Amino acid sequence: MLEARELIKEFGDLRATDDVSLTFGKEDGEMTFIVGPNGAGKTTLINLLTGLLEPDEGSVIIHEKSENGTTERDITDMDPEQRVKTGLVRSFQVVHVFEEMTVRENIRTASLSNHGLTRSFWSLSDEHEEVENDVDELIEQFRLEDVAGDVAETLPHGDRKLLDVAMSFALDPRYLLLDEPTSGVGAREKEYVIETVVEASKSQNVTTVTIEHDMDIVREYADRMVALVRGEVFREGDPSLLDTDDELRRTLLGVTPDE
Amino acid sequence: MIELPLFIDLGDAAVHTLNGIFRGSILFMIASGLTIIFGVLGVLNLAHGEFYGIGAFLLTSIATFFVVRIAAPTDPLSTAIFAAAIVIAVLLSAAILIPIAGAIEATVIRPIYDRAEMYQLLLTYALLLILVDTIRIIWGSQPVRPAAVDGQQIHAALDVIPMEELFGFQYSSVRIFTIFIGIGTFLFLLWFFDRTKTGRIIRATAIDREAATAIGVSSDRVFTLVFALGGFFAGFSGALYSVSAIPATAEMGGTALVLSFVVIVIGGLGSIRGSFVGAILVGVVWSWAIAEYPPAEIAAPFALMILVLLVRPEGLYGAWGEIE
Amino acid sequence: MSNEDQSEEKETIRLMKGLHLTKPQLALALVGLVVVLLVPEIEGFFDNLQLDTFHNGILWGMAALGLALLLNKTELVSFGHAAFFGGGAYGGAMLVNFVGVDSGLLILFAAVFFSTAMAFAIGWFVADYVAIYFALLTLAFGQLLYAIAIGSPTLGQDEGLRLRSGGEASGDPPSLFGIEFTLQQQGEYRLVLYYFTILLLIASMIVMYRIMKSPFGSALEAIGQNRTRARFIGIPVERYVWGAFTISGFYGGIAGGLYGLRQLSIGPEGTLYVFVSGEILFMAILGGFQTIIGPIIGGIVLTFLLDNVRFLTEHFELIIGILLLLVVFVLPKGIWGSSEDIKNGLMTRVKNPAQLGADVGTLQKMLINAVRNAITTIKIILFGVK
Repeated sequence: MLEARELIKEFGDLRATDDVSLTFGKEDGEMTFIVGPNGAGKTTLINLLTGLLEPDEGSVIIHEKSENGTTERDITDMDPEQRVKTGLVRSFQVVHVFEEMTVRENIRTASLSNHGLTRSFWSLSDEHEEVENDVDELIEQFRLEDVAGDVAETLPHGDRKLLDVAMSFALDPRYLLLDEPTSGVGAREKEYVIETVVEASKSQNVTTVTIEHDMDIVREYADRMVALVRGEVFREGDPSLLDTDDELRRTLLGVTPDE
Repeated sequence: MIELPLFIDLGDAAVHTLNGIFRGSILFMIASGLTIIFGVLGVLNLAHGEFYGIGAFLLTSIATFFVVRIAAPTDPLSTAIFAAAIVIAVLLSAAILIPIAGAIEATVIRPIYDRAEMYQLLLTYALLLILVDTIRIIWGSQPVRPAAVDGQQIHAALDVIPMEELFGFQYSSVRIFTIFIGIGTFLFLLWFFDRTKTGRIIRATAIDREAATAIGVSSDRVFTLVFALGGFFAGFSGALYSVSAIPATAEMGGTALVLSFVVIVIGGLGSIRGSFVGAILVGVVWSWAIAEYPPAEIAAPFALMILVLLVRPEGLYGAWGEIE
Repeated sequence: MSNEDQSEEKETIRLMKGLHLTKPQLALALVGLVVVLLVPEIEGFFDNLQLDTFHNGILWGMAALGLALLLNKTELVSFGHAAFFGGGAYGGAMLVNFVGVDSGLLILFAAVFFSTAMAFAIGWFVADYVAIYFALLTLAFGQLLYAIAIGSPTLGQDEGLRLRSGGEASGDPPSLFGIEFTLQQQGEYRLVLYYFTILLLIASMIVMYRIMKSPFGSALEAIGQNRTRARFIGIPVERYVWGAFTISGFYGGIAGGLYGLRQLSIGPEGTLYVFVSGEILFMAILGGFQTIIGPIIGGIVLTFLLDNVRFLTEHFELIIGILLLLVVFVLPKGIWGSSEDIKNGLMTRVKNPAQLGADVGTLQKMLINAVRNAITTIKIILFGVK
């Protein structure tokens, strides 16, 4: 279970997150979607959780199940790369891949890191069987077979998004934080991208936290929904709130109910 | 053996410090150009020190031209005329660098803005080599000074401030003027970038090239202007340095370049204030090292740089990358 | 990786794990090796081919090879690599002068140790920085070492140090593999050192090849292409850059140590000055920093030019500068890196000599455009915009 405890982050006068406390993955594999208007602090929250930003106050905690109940582990001061090793993995809204590598090399590099092999300077990158198996599997799972040998920067946008997420999956995530996995993807490809991502998460029982603007996607796939407004948690609960809670609808969609 | 004096004569201390501020003023005029060019164009110009060198050599030629034609200063009037001639020589030397720098930017630097840093560095390094040899071809490999006036150096002929009577120690008036010019340049640049339209346009271009183009600013022209401006100030400082009776050498550009880097790292890349504070610090440390422990002459500024980096990795005015 | 595809298409010979060559490549490599080994024998037949130049070229090339790891993988430009070349040379020389050691191997060991330690220390400072800041800081640190060497009476200031016994001008060269050499046997000494250099060259090329193809190499490449993403796939970015920088310094140390042994007398101007750093960078790019052989070729070619142009004209820096401009604009991938393009270009021109005329035309157009551009710009600056 991943917990944000009373997180506060300020940029100048602006409170990007204002005392946000949330827990994700009370049950393994829970899919939480974060919604909210622009500037609500959604990306800041993910940045705080994954260590791209340091909070001004509050902490990030991982609850680990062990034989004698659960133990708390405070990861607030951990570097991003250390957090990755605890299974806390993210993707970016703007695609972050290694542009001059092929799709295969991209995923392979992530997988080498996951297997703790990047310190090896005498073996060959492509000779590790366990890595190659993982890479093959991910390429298949994310349906990147046709472009596996292509250089990342030449890929169509949807494939780049998938590659970004595939690299995250190469790290064997327990908590996967996805910052708008469908942003910039055309309407037709959107469904395909999100379905692939959801499928992969379900099959590996990964707890996901996804920022999403498309409410249809949230309704269809969310186990739970969190609405952030002006840096605060505005609503938290079942995605059906999107249809039943008028105040939430007003804030999110600018829809005024009939008066 | 190293002999550190137990106590230092106050007059000596003042001279060392003034020398430091003098060197700092010279350095500031070079480093500020370098930092502005980087801030706007995104290119670290390794050939920048050569503009300073060319300025110094130009002055030796132009000043010599005047010196042999103008009466030596004997009374207040002839001193004023002589001083005016030297001021014109300095300005002329610096002005000649405007077309030189502008032409260099337009021909060889403009095509490489989108290339990787290593090519940008390599290209400006190539320019450095070419300019160093050009200097040697024109002025020879030996150190050059402006012609003497009545058997004394220009700066001695212009010692008009009675330092001995006023403060009790000798100090070159030309150097005092240079210090004031350095401070003046600093204030001018602050005013220019903060208050003038052109300055604001340059800053806008530095922050967002495309947006500036969209509102009708020709980024090509801004870049050439900035590069030429940098060349002007570097040449200006070279000329001033040369007036102070320090012989111009083909190697002076390289030394100045490296010290400018130290200044920039200390001050924070892109910061004009940082350049000024850094330059004065480096100048003073450097001068004291020369006076008190000469073997550390070259190493002292670097030691200062490492010290600053340990405390503030982004430099004193860490504005890295943006003009401020 | 492109090699994988080729290995499926063409028949290759496996030299070692991960190193496959086609038959023509292998033949070329063997010919190259034979030529390199024969240089001492054939130097007398050609006026311009001196063993000294060739040997030094290889050594500079080894330093450039170390730099190529940073350029190629992490995409960081170190403009202070003379620190490690010179650091190696001085490290060895200090052992001779202050400890009185005369074993060449120990001297080389000290050289490598010293420069690696130096790279370790400087790397700690610079690993956090990227792009131009990295270049700026490495340059400044390189100059710091130069400043120390030229300022310190212990290190001989601008005279430098000798690696002969007792640090004397007439001292014997160090011993190699237990063989003592007298002053008169300097020729033999250099020959032994040359073959030893070739051995180390081949070893260091193989090691560099493996590093570049290893998971560590992939991680460095990832860092070069996207630091943030590299961090978020769990790569400790700064530590790896630090590691690569240290390896790079290690290469500089071997090269500099051997250079000291070869020259038997070293000074700050020739090993530590900022221009030396520039030359090492130039060599890596001139030969092609994306290959293993490129930097070595770059080293040999530039050293050859520097040594020979110096005799032709006083103004060799001008010639080198113009050459550099050409490399930046015409051959950005370097001699070896563009060998395919060069070959194809030559073939077209052999088949169709008229192409040459067109080339001259293009060149003319480029020059005219550049000049016109410059004139317009100067007009604008001097007389304002009309």
